[in-house]
Amino acid sequence: MQATKSFERAFLRQLLRVFRLSAVSYKSMSLQERKSAIKLSADVAMASARGSRKWTRGLIAKLSEEDEHRSFLRLILGTEYERLTKPCHGSWKIPRSKKIVRRSLRVCSRRKNNLRAPHGFKSSVLARTLVEKRTHALKRLVPGGESLDGYSLLDEALDYVISLRAQADLMQKLLTTFEASKLSALSKCTLPERKASFVGK
Amino acid sequence: MSSRRARSRQSTSSSRITDEQINDLVSKLQAVLPEARLHGCLSMQVSAAKVLQETCNYIRSLHREVDDLSERLSELLATTEASSAQAAIIRSLLK
Repeated sequence: MQATKSFERAFLRQLLRVFRLSAVSYKSMSLQERKSAIKLSADVAMASARGSRKWTRGLIAKLSEEDEHRSFLRLILGTEYERLTKPCHGSWKIPRSKKIVRRSLRVCSRRKNNLRAPHGFKSSVLARTLVEKRTHALKRLVPGGESLDGYSLLDEALDYVISLRAQADLMQKLLTTFEASKLSALSKCTLPERKASFVGK
Repeated sequence: MSSRRARSRQSTSSSRITDEQINDLVSKLQAVLPEARLHGCLSMQVSAAKVLQETCNYIRSLHREVDDLSERLSELLATTEASSAQAAIIRSLLK
């Protein structure tokens, strides 16, 4: 599964807007400040390009926790900011996590001998603990994941992973393009110098 | 645990999520993880715990990757002239 072309276009378009708006302030920033600004811009662009999902709302909410970020977010997202930060109605908590534990148990018991008594009990406890532990870890990693359960968490995690992959790929593409253009710009600059040195000899 | 069970009895399951849907989601998740190519079709029944762990690891590594790319981009976008030139480049990438 991959991110759509329209996501890629929307992401780049937003990033372009941000770079254009930030160009002046980038000059006076330190390297670390600029890095944080770019990371923030990339996250905002990603959330904006994806639209309304549990994780994009969670991400915008997390980014809005800092006052200075909030005005930046409002500037970039405009009316979309209000839409993405509006509280979602009714979080349907259907216990799908139980189904995932059951599925994991079935796999574990199928692998081992079907000796229910002591073996079965130990493996079921282990399976339940492992799935719970990892679910908790995943909840912390997926923005907005704390309020999600079982199926929803997996669904959002899948979408988030695909979007993150696309974000990294697009940033890499930008980096490569910028580096290439900078090299060509540099070579153009040094050309007249080279000519002068030849004339001198 | 008991509170979770109590909540589950209360909630309306108008759209019951089937085991098939969960299996489908877990395998989709497995497919986007980097190790998917290594496992291939051999492990049909990969445990949910394993997929959850690999997903967590992958998200962490993607975060690190974006962090690193942000740093490298910040080195390049140091000057105003550079930024406006880059804007033109991004525009060309959109075509």
